[in-house]
Amino acid sequence: MLSFETNPPLSLYIHLPWCVKKCPYCDFNSHAINKEAFPEAAYIDALISDLESELPRIWGRPIGSIFIGGGTPSLFSAEAINRLMVALRERLTFYHHIEVTMEANPGTAEVERFKAYRESGINRLSIGVQSFNDEKLKVLGRIHNSTEAKAAVAMAKDAGFDEINIDLMFGLPEQSIDEAMSDLEMAMEQQPSHLSWYQLTIEPNTIFYSKPPVLPDDDLLWSMQKQGQAYLSDSGFSQYEVSAYARHGTTGVDHQCKHNLNYWQFGDYLGIGAGAHGKLTHVAEGKIERYARHRIPQSYIEKITQKNAITETRSLNRDELPLEFMMNALRLNEGFHPSLFIENTGLPLSDIQKPLQEAEKKSMIEWNINKIKPTEFGRRYLNDLIQFFIK
Amino acid sequence: MQNIRNFSIIAHIDHGKSTLADRFIQHCGALTEREMADQVLDSMDLERERGITIKSQSVSLDYKAKNGASYQLNLIDTPGHVDFGYEVSRSLAACDGALLVVDASQGVEAQSVANCLTAVDLDLEILPVLNKIDLPSSDPERVLQEIEEIIGIDTTNTVQVSAKTGLGVEALLEQIIEVIPPPSGSEDAPLRALIIDSWFDNYLGVVSLVRVVDGCLPAGKKMRVMSTGRDHLVDEVGVFTPKRHAQKVLKTGQVGYVISGIKDLGGAPVGDTLTLVEDPASEALTGFQEIKPKVFAGMYPVDSSDYEAFRDALTKLKLNDASLHFEPETSQALGFGFRCGFLGMLHMEIIQERLEREYDMSLIITAPTVVYEVETTNGEVLTVDNPAKLPPSDKIKEIREPIIYADILVPQDYLGNVISLCIEKRGVQKKLQYLGNQISLGFELPMSEVVLDFFDRLKSASRGYASFDYNFLRFQASSLVKLDILINGDRVDALSIITHQEQSRNRGHELTAKIKEFIPRQMFDVAIQAAIGSKILSRHSVKALRKNVTAKCYGGDISRKRKLLEKQKAGKKRMKKFGSVEIPQDAFMAILHVGRNR
Repeated sequence: MLSFETNPPLSLYIHLPWCVKKCPYCDFNSHAINKEAFPEAAYIDALISDLESELPRIWGRPIGSIFIGGGTPSLFSAEAINRLMVALRERLTFYHHIEVTMEANPGTAEVERFKAYRESGINRLSIGVQSFNDEKLKVLGRIHNSTEAKAAVAMAKDAGFDEINIDLMFGLPEQSIDEAMSDLEMAMEQQPSHLSWYQLTIEPNTIFYSKPPVLPDDDLLWSMQKQGQAYLSDSGFSQYEVSAYARHGTTGVDHQCKHNLNYWQFGDYLGIGAGAHGKLTHVAEGKIERYARHRIPQSYIEKITQKNAITETRSLNRDELPLEFMMNALRLNEGFHPSLFIENTGLPLSDIQKPLQEAEKKSMIEWNINKIKPTEFGRRYLNDLIQFFIK
Repeated sequence: MQNIRNFSIIAHIDHGKSTLADRFIQHCGALTEREMADQVLDSMDLERERGITIKSQSVSLDYKAKNGASYQLNLIDTPGHVDFGYEVSRSLAACDGALLVVDASQGVEAQSVANCLTAVDLDLEILPVLNKIDLPSSDPERVLQEIEEIIGIDTTNTVQVSAKTGLGVEALLEQIIEVIPPPSGSEDAPLRALIIDSWFDNYLGVVSLVRVVDGCLPAGKKMRVMSTGRDHLVDEVGVFTPKRHAQKVLKTGQVGYVISGIKDLGGAPVGDTLTLVEDPASEALTGFQEIKPKVFAGMYPVDSSDYEAFRDALTKLKLNDASLHFEPETSQALGFGFRCGFLGMLHMEIIQERLEREYDMSLIITAPTVVYEVETTNGEVLTVDNPAKLPPSDKIKEIREPIIYADILVPQDYLGNVISLCIEKRGVQKKLQYLGNQISLGFELPMSEVVLDFFDRLKSASRGYASFDYNFLRFQASSLVKLDILINGDRVDALSIITHQEQSRNRGHELTAKIKEFIPRQMFDVAIQAAIGSKILSRHSVKALRKNVTAKCYGGDISRKRKLLEKQKAGKKRMKKFGSVEIPQDAFMAILHVGRNR
């Protein structure tokens, strides 16, 4: 049995699984939309019953952040999103400074709709730009072009969003270092508050996996990353996680993504929607459980009415918790306070004494009473570092 | 006794020996259609997968001949690969005749020649059989001529068959009765039974395949193993049909099995003679020469805590394979393991695969080597089967390497290729003789050049048509040196090889290049150097991995990412650590891959 003083912070993830079309690199649970048979209302209903059936599990716990992801959530009408937000507020306690992010794609952006989203309580938009190069966008199977991408960010600003993230990739098929840098420069010109800048990786069950494109080699990728990071730092963006960069805030304002930070700090999250995953701590029972739901939207909707949307519940055991914690927490440039491990895994620090020492010996972490932090070397070979924690 | 025929089949790999055996079994109705898994005699999974026979097997068949009489046909199946030649001569010793099966289109191959000559030496009646005559490419006339010219036996009795279609099989069975003599032996004399093979069965203990030469061997009596003088109660005797089939007694001339509660193979050594305690024979039969391993390699468990389990596994394997030798050794690089002796490379591969499959061992095998004789400056002569054990060069007067004589048969078209190969392998030509379409080549070659990849190279140089057999000749002084491999400056003893001075630079270059291919990129640059003494001959390096990071991880389903990390870690566990460098198992065998693409 694990031993907890109190519950970790709780977030809510809501999955909206439709896209205009499926991109060749995407391995998320997303499905091409059929406009005639788009069950928008039924899906919102399903989400609300899904949430209701979960309420007993999270009774009394305030929500620190919400992330509406996909898919392309911006395919949903303002009315639908508003109905969802109202339902959430009626049933959950929100922290005063709650962060509510929604993902939007430039091909589906409309300023009026963005305004309505903002009014319904969404306060952060994450825009899936991926690249500002039209040719690359085509290769990536995106439905937008560079002009639309820029317009989408402008619309978000017009609609009143202060917190705007741009999702951008590097290491695109046949990308040169100049092209990668030019993408970053364009992104900076749009003045977002946050940038997710991550390397394209080929995942199983994608079109790119079966027909691999020619990607830049290791050396080139490394140069892109080094040069890009230096440029972002000069542009006032600091990296706080492997692929996450936040604009330096004015006093008291922090532009880091609270929702993702909660994942990386091994907080709890409730996941609702088709294929959503959740992780919840049960203080009284001394256990941490992971849940998964039906992936196919239609069967998810059907199963919800039968109160039977969960396909898998798994209790994490003592041996696997250190790994799961480190897979997340060591992604943070600043690492974590040792007490975070104790609080959020329910394990004593002695459980990871040995791997910590090994990692320290290899100069992959710095470790003192107040901090466990990956070194630059540790961040560079993060997978090797994390492997110390596999039992 | 007059109605018993003991015979064996001599054939080259792929010439259809096992298929023919299956036909016999089928024809004599020993198994139902359903029981006829293809090639029933190759009972090990490995044998069936590789399409080769490793262990000798026997089967007793009842054949009702056209003359109305019933005959017991005892077929002793024999391995066809050069590594297992010793099993062939053992099997032959139990027979009165042999079928020489030759592929009617491919013609005679060196292997069959060698085995056939052994049979001739043992005074066996040889019945030539041309197989695969249904193939359009078959050329019986030419092949018959080859048999006469190369082996020098009469081919008047030759039977033409197609084991695949069954054509001619009955005629062949009739001919066996006609041509192969019944066993000779005295029914009244005290029992003398020759142990042809022994193996260990988990349920039965040691099972021995024997030929009763004189007298008879009944179940329930006490028998004596003549070399050890130990007495055992005979629990069961019988024949394989090919199912185990118990009988009351094994009579004079019969080939069958004996089970007597012997617990280890040493208790029933192959080539030994069994007699009865109540009426013992005075003289044992002539046994077989003990076979000596030709190739040695170190075998080490990847996880050193598996050492004891590894010892157990080897001990168990040895129960069934008397030709496997092993003794403990230690390596600075690899820790505790065993130096194992094998009959050849195929034998080594088979042992390795069996250890991995049947005993779930994860092993590192070092570069195989032959045995060298080393004369030291103070006149001592050492036998060295491990390059790491070579004395320092200033203490060596000379190193002598084993030389073999290779008999090669090759169609004319590939003669040039084969000769160049032999010369590349430091061979000295001794014979060249035209025999029909084939040429018989004789070469003296260093054994070290032959055991590694010669067989494969010969096959590719001749599009599979050349065949060879070899015998040990002598030890001969040669300018040999120890080539060391250094990983990031540290000598890895398990990677050292002994090589000819003239080849050392090339070898060093090829070896370091090959090892480079096997070592995955890691967090640091890895330098691989080849050196003789302190002199560096060549260097390759594996560039450091730029980074190893998962780009995205946002809560959700992290199980796949976890599995990837766990897989990476498991991969590392299978590697050996030298300082901070991780070297995979395969790298230790790099020498075998030199000159080949991965």
